[in-house]
Amino acid sequence: MIVEQHSKFFTGELSKDLKAIKQEIGYNFDVRFHEFNIGSTDTRAVIIFVEGLSDKELIEKHILKSLIPPISANPKHRKKDLLSVDYIKNYIHSLIEVKEVKTMEELVPEVLIGSAALLVDRASTVLMLDTVKGKTRDLREPPSEEAIRGPRIGFTENLNDNSALLRQSGKNEKLSLVKHEVGVRSRKNLVVAYITDIVDPELVKEVNKRIKKIDIDNVMESGFVEQLIEDNYLSPFPQVQNTERPDRVMAALMEGRVAILLAGTPFALIVPVTFSMMLQAPEDYYDRWIAGSLIRLLRFFAAFISLFGPSLYIAFISFHPGLIPTELAITVLGTRAGVPFPSIIEALIMEISIEILREAGLRLPKPIGQTIGIVGALIVGEAAVRAGIVSPMMVIVVAITAISSFALPQYSIGISLRILRFGAMIFASMLGLFGVVLFFLLLCSHFVQLKSFGVPYASPFVPYRFSDWKDLLVRMPIKTMKRRPRMLHTKDSIRKK
Amino acid sequence: MRLSHISKWSVFVLSLLFLTSCWSMKEIEDLGLVLGVAIDLEEEGLEENLITLTNQLAKSNSSEAGKEGGASSFKNVSETGHSLMGLTLDSLLKNKEIPLAHHIKVIVIGEDLARTTNLQQILDYFLREHEIRPSCLILIAKNRASQILETSDPSVVPSLKLAQMTTNTHKRNSKVLPPVSLLKLSREIQSESSFLLQNVISTNGEVTLEGASVFEGKTKKLKGFLTKEEVMGINWIKGNVKGGYVEIFVEKQSNPIVFEVLSMKTHIQPHVNGNNISFEVDIESEGRIGEDRGISMKPFSDDTLARAEKAIEKEVKRLVESVSEKTQEELQADVFGYRDSLRIHYPKVWKKVKKDWDQTFSEVPIEYNVKITIKDFGTIGK
Repeated sequence: MIVEQHSKFFTGELSKDLKAIKQEIGYNFDVRFHEFNIGSTDTRAVIIFVEGLSDKELIEKHILKSLIPPISANPKHRKKDLLSVDYIKNYIHSLIEVKEVKTMEELVPEVLIGSAALLVDRASTVLMLDTVKGKTRDLREPPSEEAIRGPRIGFTENLNDNSALLRQSGKNEKLSLVKHEVGVRSRKNLVVAYITDIVDPELVKEVNKRIKKIDIDNVMESGFVEQLIEDNYLSPFPQVQNTERPDRVMAALMEGRVAILLAGTPFALIVPVTFSMMLQAPEDYYDRWIAGSLIRLLRFFAAFISLFGPSLYIAFISFHPGLIPTELAITVLGTRAGVPFPSIIEALIMEISIEILREAGLRLPKPIGQTIGIVGALIVGEAAVRAGIVSPMMVIVVAITAISSFALPQYSIGISLRILRFGAMIFASMLGLFGVVLFFLLLCSHFVQLKSFGVPYASPFVPYRFSDWKDLLVRMPIKTMKRRPRMLHTKDSIRKK
Repeated sequence: MRLSHISKWSVFVLSLLFLTSCWSMKEIEDLGLVLGVAIDLEEEGLEENLITLTNQLAKSNSSEAGKEGGASSFKNVSETGHSLMGLTLDSLLKNKEIPLAHHIKVIVIGEDLARTTNLQQILDYFLREHEIRPSCLILIAKNRASQILETSDPSVVPSLKLAQMTTNTHKRNSKVLPPVSLLKLSREIQSESSFLLQNVISTNGEVTLEGASVFEGKTKKLKGFLTKEEVMGINWIKGNVKGGYVEIFVEKQSNPIVFEVLSMKTHIQPHVNGNNISFEVDIESEGRIGEDRGISMKPFSDDTLARAEKAIEKEVKRLVESVSEKTQEELQADVFGYRDSLRIHYPKVWKKVKKDWDQTFSEVPIEYNVKITIKDFGTIGK
């Protein structure tokens, strides 16, 4: 812990204070100590700032230049007593935000994130000038969640930008953004966002409680927060939704959920989350309801395929050939002939190689990544079949499964289902269809007992809340969705009259 | 708590492994999918009542073969012995494939076997064996059944073709009986009534649906054959024509008018007068002129229509009466279902005649009234 036993106050003696500060900060090359005389007086002053973090132009052009010549130009100001800290503070006040600090602990962290400290001889108060230069990038469409229709804007790494994006999405005095600090060695700002007159106060309390409990050196990314506050870390299902889209966050807030923004990452978190949310995309709501509903149904189907595709194939081929239509059975029989492995090994070979391909394509620089994709497709699709290692039918099954898993709008749920798929395959290879059913039941039994911040993960399937089903498998017309989801226990349940 | 959780689950999963492991795992390429079965009677030397079982297996390289058009996409495996079950298992001695019976589409029974053996005996194995679907079709082969499973065109699997032909044609052509599945047949067998099965013949490796076999209710043996035209008559009496045509020759021309059946209704009315039983059958049908190859007729006059209707009625009556006569006198088997209408309308009388119904039936007078309505001329018209 860095908290000091006793605070170090500044003495007012410039050289002494300077030495102490230098000792505290350490001899870092990027910390600048700029000594000068105020005006034409002999009052010494030092301005301390970190190169790169502080706005150097601002310091030079506005602070230093305005601090020195005008004072010397006006004979009135030659008087020493006028050059008090108060005077300078008032003088610079109009240019930038100024804060007075008296202790070392207040000063050092501020300087190290880009503020400039102005020490004046014979003054025990140091002025902190807000010269932080925002390191930011353009607001772009998030690559992880692209949408054909909808705002082409995503969060950035800058927390202020992100919160501003939320504010800008509409004038809303009830939108509350509460700041926390997480991390012990590297403290980061974290903002909990909710809408005060919608959200369940218990939920906010719970979120705050869990965030306060975070006691870790450094919260690298919101993934850390996610893993530290989720309900069941052993579960294969993600219990916190992450998103880069402000519109998605806003929609969640309007439903009565809570969002968590962390400095340094464009990924915001949304809690509580249910499984069905993982299969929803913002476009479901922006498109007309029939299109939205059909696409959503398609996604549920894709989720099913990505989970059970290969395992069903294995079960049918190895255990129940009688269940396949005759003509197909004959075809499969023909294509399987000469394949040296049992279907489970064949499926594992293909599934694992496609996972490796996916990972390789993701990690490599973009131009090479595409090449890898083509090479992989050729090797896996054509050569492996020619070589007689796998059957063409298996290539089809694996390809459909892979495509299905990419059709899911949330990357995290896609990964979960991909992992579970291997479990299903092993069960299928041991027990056939019975195994697949068994696996499904095991999964269901875990699924229904899982909770995310007090909300059952499977809701509104289980517990059964039919009124919430308007936005589950299909997305009913917005006209009919008059109430917020009941499972969130919102203060204001009416969404539309 | 977590640890106990995990151990609980692992015990659960492990016990599953020991309870039922991969015992029923059979990779599809190790199996021989049986697509059709043919059974024949065999006489080898002194031994009689030997049967030959021919299984038609899908070949594992069938898809390749089909593409190249070279080697055949199936293989027939024959075995001779006393029991079907034994033959099935004995076939393993020569073949690597484990036969899988789920996909059997047709069971073809040879004429000789059907004549000499009770059908129930023949089919006993198929009805007992759980792997065989009751939906597979039963056909009778004129001559040898195993010939039916041969073909001159190697890209076609005869069993599949046969199954498809049987199910599809009867909807469009009344010269074929509705398909009889194992399930349906087992019902017929239990009821002791006479019944019909579709015949197939094989000429030069080409399979044709041709006529029907009449089975006697009591013995369940093949008693005689009906021709295609007679099958047509049967279908008219039973009223299960879903399509089909009747050719008529008006005014002694050599070119026919073709009546296309659109709908038909048959009503069988039994009459009992003392000990005399008689039947009255009303056949009503609507249809259109499908083709008119006669030239001297005025195409759209009412007179023509009436004459055509008359002629069709006469023709249908002829078809119906000829088959009725044949089954009554020659074969003495009620394959029409007259028994059912008598049973329903006169249960007491039925009880008396039930025992010897086929005998009684052969002497019963039956009157046929045919009413044909021509609804339209097709797309030609006024």
